[in-house]
Formats: sequence, C-alpha cells, structure tokens
Amino acid sequence: MNFKNNLIKALIPIISILLALLTGALLITIIGGNPVEAYEYLLRGAFGSKNNIGETFVKATPLIFTSLAAAFAYKCGVFNLGGQGQFVMGAVASALIATTNNSLEGLPLIIVSLTAGTIAGGLWGMIPGILKITRGLNELIVSIMLNYVAILFMGYLYTAPLRNGSVPQTAAVRANLSRLMDGPRTHTGIIIAVVLAFGIHYFMFHTAAGFKLRAVGMNQIASFYNGFPVKRLMLISFIVSGAIAGLGGSIELHGTQNRLMSGFGDGYGFDGVAIALIAQLNPIGSLIVAYLFAVLRTGATTMQVGTGLPTAVIDIIQALIIVFAVAGSALTNMPKIKQVILKFSLASKKEED
Amino acid sequence: MENIMNLPFLQELLLSTMRMATPLLIVALAELYSEKAGLVNIGLDGMMAFGALVGFLTSYITGNPYLGILAGGLGGIMVNMIYAVATIQLGAQQIVFGMAINLFAPALASFIYKAYFGISSTLAQATLMEPMAIPLLSEIPFIGKILFHHTIIVYIAYLLVPISYIFFEKTKAGLNFKAVGEFPKAAESLGINVYRQKYLACIICGLLAGIGGAYLTTAYVSTYSDGIVSGRGFIALSAVVFGRWMPTGVLFAALLFGFADSIQLRLQIINPETPYQLLAMIPYLSTLFALAFFGIKKSGPKANGQPYFKEER
Repeated sequence: MNFKNNLIKALIPIISILLALLTGALLITIIGGNPVEAYEYLLRGAFGSKNNIGETFVKATPLIFTSLAAAFAYKCGVFNLGGQGQFVMGAVASALIATTNNSLEGLPLIIVSLTAGTIAGGLWGMIPGILKITRGLNELIVSIMLNYVAILFMGYLYTAPLRNGSVPQTAAVRANLSRLMDGPRTHTGIIIAVVLAFGIHYFMFHTAAGFKLRAVGMNQIASFYNGFPVKRLMLISFIVSGAIAGLGGSIELHGTQNRLMSGFGDGYGFDGVAIALIAQLNPIGSLIVAYLFAVLRTGATTMQVGTGLPTAVIDIIQALIIVFAVAGSALTNMPKIKQVILKFSLASKKEED
Repeated sequence: MENIMNLPFLQELLLSTMRMATPLLIVALAELYSEKAGLVNIGLDGMMAFGALVGFLTSYITGNPYLGILAGGLGGIMVNMIYAVATIQLGAQQIVFGMAINLFAPALASFIYKAYFGISSTLAQATLMEPMAIPLLSEIPFIGKILFHHTIIVYIAYLLVPISYIFFEKTKAGLNFKAVGEFPKAAESLGINVYRQKYLACIICGLLAGIGGAYLTTAYVSTYSDGIVSGRGFIALSAVVFGRWMPTGVLFAALLFGFADSIQLRLQIINPETPYQLLAMIPYLSTLFALAFFGIKKSGPKANGQPYFKEER
C-alpha cells in the first residue's frame, strides 16, 4: 500500500515531464519546426561534448541551491518566493568582499566570502520571516517585493560604487572556486551543492529538529498543542532557506560569473521553487530535477542556434512540467480518485496474498 | 527644489499617478473578485503578461488598440481557465498553481512574440490609445486635466470601484458570490452552485487581469517586451490586502502605489545623475512599508484559499 502510493508519487513527475515534452513538440510543429530535429539539438547541446556536459553541471549548480532553499522553507509550511533576492544578496555580499581591495587572498578569501554570502542571504530571508510572525504579513508578497529591491540594489552597485570600466559591471573576484577538470567550467560548487542536498535530506528525515520542522509544515495547530515553538521554527526555516540561496549566489559569483552584471541570477528563484515542487520537496529529488532543468537550459541555446526556434519553447516546457505535476498530485489527492487508488491497491494486495 | 514645488510639476505628477494606478486598480479588483469567492490567485503577473502580449499583437495587426484591450481580456480568461480547472475541479493548491501560471503564461507570451516577429527583431511599435477628454469637465483649471483627460480604460477602471461596491454590498447576486468565499458548504445548502460561482470569479478575474496587462501595451507604452509587467501583479495583490478586501480600500491602495510609481519616474527625469535603480526601488519599498505598518491580520474571506469538494461533507 505504502509502496504503491510512493510509486504513484514518483510516477507523477515522470509523466509530467513526458507530457510537457510532448506538448513542446506540438508547439514546435505548429510554428513549422521539426520537433525531432529540435530535441536532437537539445540533447547535443547538453551532452554533445565534454564541454557541454560540464556546462550542464555549471547550470545545475545554482538551481540546486535555489530549489533546496524553496524546499526547506516549504517543508516548514512557509512559502519563500524570495529565492532570487536572497541569491542576489549573497552574491552582493561576496562581491563587496572579493572584488574590492583587502588583505585576504586565495582560499581564506573564498571562505570568508562564501560565509558572508550565506549570512547576507539568511538576513534577507529573515525579513519576510519576521514580518510574518510579528505582523502576520503574507510572506509571499514580502519576499517577492524584496526580490525587486535586491535586484535593483545589485544594479545600483555595479553601475555606480563598484563599477569597473565602461560597461556597467563590477571587477572580477580575486579568487575563483577551483575547476574540477581541464576545459569545462565545472567547479567545486557542484560538490558543495550535492553534499548540502544530502545533508538537508538527513536533517529533514533523520533528526528530531527536522521532524519538528516538518510537523509544523504538516499541521501547525497540532504542532502548537504539542508544545513546538511554531513561530520560532518558521522564522528559523526562513533564515536557513535564505542562507542556502545566499550561499548559492556566492558560489555562482566565485565559480561561474566572476562578477556582478546585468541579469545575474535572473529567474533562478522561481525556477528553484518549480524544481522543489516537481521534486515533491525531496532534497535528493531536487538534485535530479535541477539537473534536468539544466539539461533543458543548456540545450535550449544550441537548439535556438541550430534550428532558429526561440529558447522560449524550453521555458514553456519547464513551466508545463510544473503545471502537470501540480495538477497531477492534486488529481491523485481528490477524495474520489483516492478511493479508486485505495481500492486498486487493496485489490492487488489480496492477489498477492 | 523649485522645479519640484510648482504647479505644472504637481499636475503632471497627479496625472501620471492616475495613469500608473489604473493597471494596479484593475488587476487588484480582479484579485478581489477571485478572493471573494475563496480563490487566492497569485498568477496575476502571468495573466497580465499574456494579456499584454495578446493586446499588443491585436493592436499591432488591426491598428485598433481598443480591440487590443478586448483581446487582452480574453487572453487573460483563457489563461485563468487553466487555473480554474486545476483549483476548482481538482482542488490543486491555489498558491502553488498560481505560481505555475506565473511561469507558464509569460513563457507562452514570449514564445508567441518571438514566433511572430522572429528571434532577433527590433522592437515593433503599435498604435497607442488616444486620451478622451470629457467635455466641460476637462476644462476645469488644474484638476480638469488630472481627472478628465485620460484614455477610456482609466475611466472604466475607476467606475469599476462603485460598481463592485454595489455588487458586493447591495445585490443578492453579490451576497451569494461572497457566501461562496466565506462558507461554501452553507452556500451550497442554500442552493447556490458553488462551482459555478467560482468559475464566474475566475472569468471575471482573468478578464480584468488580462485587460490590466493589455493596458500596459495599448495605452501606456507602444511596445511589448519580456518582463514588461515587472511585478505589478504582486503589487496589485498587496493592494487587496492593504485595501482590506474592500473596493474603496483597493482604490486607495492602488492610488498610493501608483503615486509611488509616478514619483519615482518624475524623480528620474529631474535627477538624471542619480543611479535610476535607487529611485526604481520606491514602489516596491513603499508597498513593503505600507503592508508592514498598516497591513492587517486575517480579514479576508474565511474560506479563502481552501479547496472545496462537494463529495466531502
């Protein structure tokens, strides 16, 4: 019974992905393209060479962080849509340390810079958390408003005080995360991301604190009467969520982009939420889905160059995965359908007996 | 300082406040209708983006921005029907699904734009709506221009406020509508078709949100670009909370946020040497401060955000 339920749960994202790819193919056909050729370019772009395979990991890294951030908050029942703002603020804090003159260099610089980014992201995530528990404000609206503030603040920094040269961007960071291999840009950030995902998984499902957090997410009232500090747990989860995103921003700065400029971190926040939801808030699932999104992202550019189809097709496919996945899990949770599933699994159990 | 404190500047500022508040007002009213029937819809940004694209394309092809507005509204309804089926029929989580709409609709809009104009096209220009001055009233010195020299959408938006007030407070249909958002089971037992009311709410919400988006490309700027909505849907969402779920409150909130938007634009013009990003933060920050100081806990419809299943009694 439990196994059957889990099977259905795991099937939803897979079916959603297939349906989304199918709908994408339909759209490509409608505007006169060849879907087989398009998907071939897509795969070639993601896996065609050592460089492309590496680039896919580079793209996956920030998405893993923002999706872990989204999942962490949502597991505790708070909705953090501010992933992009926290990601950006993490990078901003790092840029302030790593592109300006100070005595730090090399590994110590990176350690200090990543720590600063983590703290900055955590502080930025703390704002919606505090406003929620003290003023009862909708964390969703607050965190989104803070996204815009963070992006504009970053824009202000690279056009005025931290500007370097004629183009509006900062100087390059003075230390980079080391590359994993010759050629592709894949850096140690991906290792940090994977370790973090397993760490969060362990914390969520194998520690008492993680249990309390999940309990608040499942039933606030019951948790409250059990004596759990509901408000404090919510605030903590918001701070940790922001810190994860902030660390992601720092790593993106030190590993991939090297400087702040227009478009830094664009769309990673919402993509992160989508990935977390498709992965049903499972941190290990986040790794897989983030990788899939990175495959689509890296392949999209090759597809656009090769076939002339706009990369927006891929955006639609990504969005459709989440549309189908959410609708799909709602469908299996409907009272009527639930009964059918229950009957089905009971019947198959009898057969097994 | 003297170029701030003079009458023409003040007139321009208030005129542009009316103009900037219009899309916020229409879209906030869209959300109000949705939430009064118990459906929290955070997909406003997405519906607006799609409305903006459909409105722009229609006005570009036909040369008629009024058709553009209409088509934008229909586009908004189309997008919101996906939300309607998922949340009403399947009981999907409203916030999560609204989020999905926010990813899906702008991507679709961007795709259609690029499929039509090609990937690397220069910005296409469409005809903008002309303001319609109201005879006599628009000739009142100073306030005449501020209040009565606008495009027709602006007048419609402001007229929707008293209409919505009368609908919700003074008509039986409005009371039935609200009952669905407050206590759907009781509403059902009184013979109100809960599902139908919710679908109606989604149609109104999609229509208004689409029109609000189309306003941006048919009456405000003459081009479409990705990201044109830039969070206005979320500001409208805050206007509903800030306006405490009342049409008059929503009007006040929209005017306030519209004022913040227009003052930052004016300041950008008179202070070209200040980095524009600092000024562009004003609308978002003022929304945050307004909510933090005057936002109110739980005064929305009681069954807001909860799925409703007929079978579960």
